[in-house]
Amino acid sequence: MMGNLLEHMGIEKDRVHFSWISSAEATKFVDVVKEISDKVRAIGPNTKFVKDYI
Amino acid sequence: MNTCINKIREIASKLLENGEVEKVIGFANGTIPMATSPVVINSKQDVDKLVFNSTCGLNLANYVRNQKGKVAVIAKGCDSRNIVTHIVENQVKRDQIHIIGVPCTGMINKKKIEALFGDDIIEFTEDGDTLNVKSSTREETLNKKEYLRDNCTLCMHRNPVVYDDLAGDLVQEQTLENPYPDVDRIEAMDADAKWQHFQELTQNCIRCYACRNACPLCYCPTCFVDESGPQWVGKGQNKTDVDTFHFLRAFHCAGRCTDCGACVEACPMDINVRDFTRKLNKDSFEMFGWEAGLDITKRPPLDVYSPGDPNAFIK
Amino acid sequence: MKFITIDKKDWAKGIEKSRETYRLFGPVKEKNGFLIKSLDNDMLPDMEYHDSVLSAKSVLFPQSEKMMTTSLDESRDGHHIMNRADADYSPRAVIGLRPFDAKAIQLVKLNFDTKEYRDPYWCDAYEATTFVGLGINKPGFYDFSTSAGSGPFNEEGLDVLLADMDDTYLAKVLTDKGQAYMDACGFKTQADAKESQALIDVLKKEAQKNIVSRIHTDKLKEKTTLELHEAPFWDDIAFSCINCGTCTYVCPTCWCFDIQDETKQKTTSRFKNWDTCMSPLFTLHTTGHNPRDTKTQRVRQRFMHKLKYFVDKYDQGTMCVGCGRCVKSCPVNIDIREVCNLMNAYEKQE
Ligand code: SF4
Ligand code: SF4
Ligand code: SF4
Ligand code: SF4
Repeated sequence: MMGNLLEHMGIEKDRVHFSWISSAEATKFVDVVKEISDKVRAIGPNTKFVKDYI
Repeated sequence: MNTCINKIREIASKLLENGEVEKVIGFANGTIPMATSPVVINSKQDVDKLVFNSTCGLNLANYVRNQKGKVAVIAKGCDSRNIVTHIVENQVKRDQIHIIGVPCTGMINKKKIEALFGDDIIEFTEDGDTLNVKSSTREETLNKKEYLRDNCTLCMHRNPVVYDDLAGDLVQEQTLENPYPDVDRIEAMDADAKWQHFQELTQNCIRCYACRNACPLCYCPTCFVDESGPQWVGKGQNKTDVDTFHFLRAFHCAGRCTDCGACVEACPMDINVRDFTRKLNKDSFEMFGWEAGLDITKRPPLDVYSPGDPNAFIK
Repeated sequence: MKFITIDKKDWAKGIEKSRETYRLFGPVKEKNGFLIKSLDNDMLPDMEYHDSVLSAKSVLFPQSEKMMTTSLDESRDGHHIMNRADADYSPRAVIGLRPFDAKAIQLVKLNFDTKEYRDPYWCDAYEATTFVGLGINKPGFYDFSTSAGSGPFNEEGLDVLLADMDDTYLAKVLTDKGQAYMDACGFKTQADAKESQALIDVLKKEAQKNIVSRIHTDKLKEKTTLELHEAPFWDDIAFSCINCGTCTYVCPTCWCFDIQDETKQKTTSRFKNWDTCMSPLFTLHTTGHNPRDTKTQRVRQRFMHKLKYFVDKYDQGTMCVGCGRCVKSCPVNIDIREVCNLMNAYEKQE
C-alpha cells in the first residue's frame, strides 16, 4: 500500500521495489538488484521528493 | 437534524442526573456564523449549551481519550467509526464511553459556501435541507444537498455503527455506484501529472498540523514530525519536508481512516488532504475488503497478518 | 502633509514603473483565499481583496528564512564558521497593506529592534521596505481593530495611506520613504490637503461605524498576573483547542521562531522557522522535561502573552491589533475577543 500511495503521488512505479531475500539466496539478490537497476535506469534520475535547498 | 437536539439534551440530562456519566462531550454554538465548538458538559444545568447542526464537522472521537471516569459523546456515523477504532486500538474502553448516536445527513462545506459571497458571512441558519446564508450585502437560500462536504457526499455510513442511545431515527444509507471517483481521477493521470497535482495541492501548506491534530487517529504522544532526537524530517517550509509530512501522516492512517473529513474541516488553507488518505481507503477496500471502524472485534489490515493478504508487490 | 491623487487608469502603469527600483509585495488571490506574496513579473496587487488568510508579517519575517551558512569541508578556508547568508535587501514595497497589519509590524519591531538586541534579518528587511497601506472602506465582519489600538484608516507604521475613492486613489504621503515610492511610480498630481483630509475623514467615520465587535482592555493592566494565571476559566477555554497553532501563524503580531541547522553533504545552513507556543515541542527541554506540558498551559500562554505580559512589559496596549484572522481561522472557534473580555472582567472570588 505504501508503494501504491507513492505511485499515486507521482513517484514512478518502477522506482520503488519491495523484496524479501534470505542471506542464503545470493543469486536471487543479484537478479533482483539487476532488475531494479535496469528499471530505474530506464526512467532516469529522480527529481521528485529530493531535498534541494542549501 | 433540528429535532434531534432536543433528544440529545434529554439523553444528556438523564445520564448526568443519574450519574451514569461524569461528562458529556458535544458541540456548542460558536461565536461566529457557521461555527460550532466542541464542548464538555459536567452538569445537567448546562445541557442547553449543546447543539447539533450541519456545521458540526469536527470529529468528537478526538476528544474522548484520557478522560477520567465515564463520558458520553455525541457521535455521527464517522465519529462512531473512529470510536470503534479507538476501542480496537485500546485508546478507550467500551464500558468507559456512552455513545449518543446521531444519524447524519451530512455536514456542510463551509469554504464552498463562503466562496459564493465576496464578503464575510454574517448569519447562517438552517431548516431541514434549506440553508439561509446572509452576508453584509446579500442573502441566499441554498439546498444543503448541493453544499455538502466531499466526504459527506461519498459517505456510506451515515448511521452510527455502535451506540448506546440514538438521538434520531436511522437514515437511509446512500448507495454509490462508484465510491472513489476522486481517487480514480488522480489514478488516471500520468506520473508527472500526479506529482504536479499533489505539488499544487500542498503548495500553501503552513505546516500548522491542524489536519493531524483534528484527526482522532493521530494520538501518538510524539508525532514523527515533532521528534527531535533523532529528527526525522526538516521543520521548515522546504517542499520536500512538507511533502514528507503529508505522505507519512497519510500512511499512518492507512486502513484506519474513516474519511470523516475533520482534517480538511480544520485546515486553515483549505487543502484537501483527503486526496492522500482516500487512495489508502480505496486500496484497503479493494485489497482487503476493509472499511475502517465497522467492527469492534477486528484490527486494521496492516496490523494483522493473514495468509490471504495480497502478495503481488513483493519479489 | 502632502496628498496625491492617482487616477486608477494610471495605477497599473505607475506600479509597473516602480519595479525599476522596488521589489513588490501585495495581495494575491490564490485557490484558498488571499495571501500577501511577492508580486513576480507582471502581477499586480489585487486591491479588491477583503482579507488575507495570512498576514503581511511574512514580508519581513518569512516562515522559513536562511540566516547563516558554512562549509564543513576542512580543506576550505573558514570551514565550520557560520557566515550570514546572502539575501536581497534592495528596496521593496508592500502595496495594499491593511492598516492593522502595519500597526502589527510596529509591535513586532518592539521585539526585534531593541536597544540591547537587534535581529539583523528582520531589521534589514524592515529598513528596505516601504509600507503602502490601503484604508478599509468596508471593514469585514471579523475586524475589531478600533478597540485594539488600530483602525481601518490607522496611519501608524505606514509610509503612504491610500484611500479608495472609486475612480481614484487618494494617497496621503506620511514619510520620506513614502514620497520616494510615489516618485518612483511617477504619481505626482497633488491634491488640496485640507479637502483631502476631510474626504478621508468621511470614509474613516463611515468605516468605523461598520465595526461592531469590540474588545475591552482597560482593566488588563491593573490585574494581578498570578490571579489571571490561576483563573478558573482556562480549562474550559482550552478544552476544544487542538493545539494546531493556526491562530499564531495567521497572526500579524506573533513573532516566535525556532532555529534549525540543516546539512546536505558539506554545506550546513541555519534556518529561522516560525514556531508556535501552541506546540508542545516549543518548550521541550533537552532533558525531556516540558514546563508547558498541557494544552491548558499552552492556550493560557498565548492569551497571557498577548493580553497581559505584553501589556505590562511595553505599555503599548495589547499584542493584538484586532484583525480577526485567528477568530475566523481557528478550527474550533476559540475567540480571542471573548477571552480578552473574560480576562478584563475577571475578579478573583475569595
Ligand atoms: S491543516 Fe492544512 S495548512 Fe495545516 S498542516 Fe495540514 S494541510 Fe498544512
Ligand atoms: S485522516 Fe482525515 S478523514 Fe481520515 S480519520 Fe483522520 S481526520 Fe478523518
Ligand atoms: S487555532 Fe484554535 S485550535 Fe488551533 S491552536 Fe489556536 S486556539 Fe487552538
Ligand atoms: S490575536 Fe488574532 S485578532 Fe489579534 S492580531 Fe493576532 S490574529 Fe489578529
